[in-house]
Amino acid sequence: MTASAPFWPAFWPPFWRGFRALLPLWPGMVPFAVAYAVTAQAGGLSLWETQLMSLTVFAGASQFAAAGQFVSGGLPTVAGALGLVATTFLLNARHVLYGLSLSRSLPLPWGQRLLAAQFLTDEAYGVTVVAGPRDPGGLSFAFLLGAELSLYGVWNASTLLGSLAGAVLPDPQALGVGVIFPLAFLGLLVPLLEGRVTLLVALVSGLGAWGLGRALPGGLVILLAGVGGAALGAWITTRHAGSRA
Amino acid sequence: MSGWLVIGLMWAVTYPARLLGLSLGRLNLPPFWQAFLRFVPVSVFAALVVPDVLGSPEWARRLVGAAVGGALLWRTRNLALGILGGFAAYWAARLAGL
Repeated sequence: MTASAPFWPAFWPPFWRGFRALLPLWPGMVPFAVAYAVTAQAGGLSLWETQLMSLTVFAGASQFAAAGQFVSGGLPTVAGALGLVATTFLLNARHVLYGLSLSRSLPLPWGQRLLAAQFLTDEAYGVTVVAGPRDPGGLSFAFLLGAELSLYGVWNASTLLGSLAGAVLPDPQALGVGVIFPLAFLGLLVPLLEGRVTLLVALVSGLGAWGLGRALPGGLVILLAGVGGAALGAWITTRHAGSRA
Repeated sequence: MSGWLVIGLMWAVTYPARLLGLSLGRLNLPPFWQAFLRFVPVSVFAALVVPDVLGSPEWARRLVGAAVGGALLWRTRNLALGILGGFAAYWAARLAGL
């Protein structure tokens, strides 16, 4: 603490505030990770492989997609594996947007960037971009990392729990915890809804994603609806700028 | 293919996407793209919420939960209260047979 104090005068307080900001999302995360682990193990992945995926890939939807594929046919063929990797890429391409959006207000040196990139998620991005600027220390690397590691910790602990005790745990669907995710993102969305353009962007993106979701996988839907909605908002707010300038 | 290799390849397409965005912060963007990035949280959160509520097999209960949770969030701006209240409303709707 004393040695690092001159360089990182206040790392831990904003780190723990970021960490705690994600606590309301834990009850939704635990059963999700447990269910992933149970699916992956049923599909033939070892405990180590199940855990390794949570430690490295760390992306709920992609992990489910992969676990589902293992379930359907054991270890995939080369073509199956490449399809799985392509799906993972599509599902996670939205993280480019998150990083881009975050880095506008929080430029990071490369070492912090390499670290922060590993743990970036929808939830950590959402809470950081909404609650980060209201933090006493402002939007900071410490707050972001705290938020990220909060989910990384609970996700990996719950993966292990699911691998070890999956068969004796109650079915998460029966508890209705699936509703916690939309509620959490609603909690991030509501404070941002100020003015008619933001409301319109939210409506178009939300209903657009619902429509697209009938034909396309979830991660791709979020990317397309996210890009489309943000482009609509940007077009409305900047379309007269050229003529005025 | 071995599980380890598949997992490694999945990581190899996930991590760079996360790093790329974080590395582009110093780009000098035209006003349209600056505005675009300001709208990203709104559009992404809405795209995460609506299909998860309306596209769910239990959409009616979830709609009740989201309406109550959303109203609480609107009045209090308290994330934990919004989630708890919405979850309670979801369960009330479920027990009422919705």
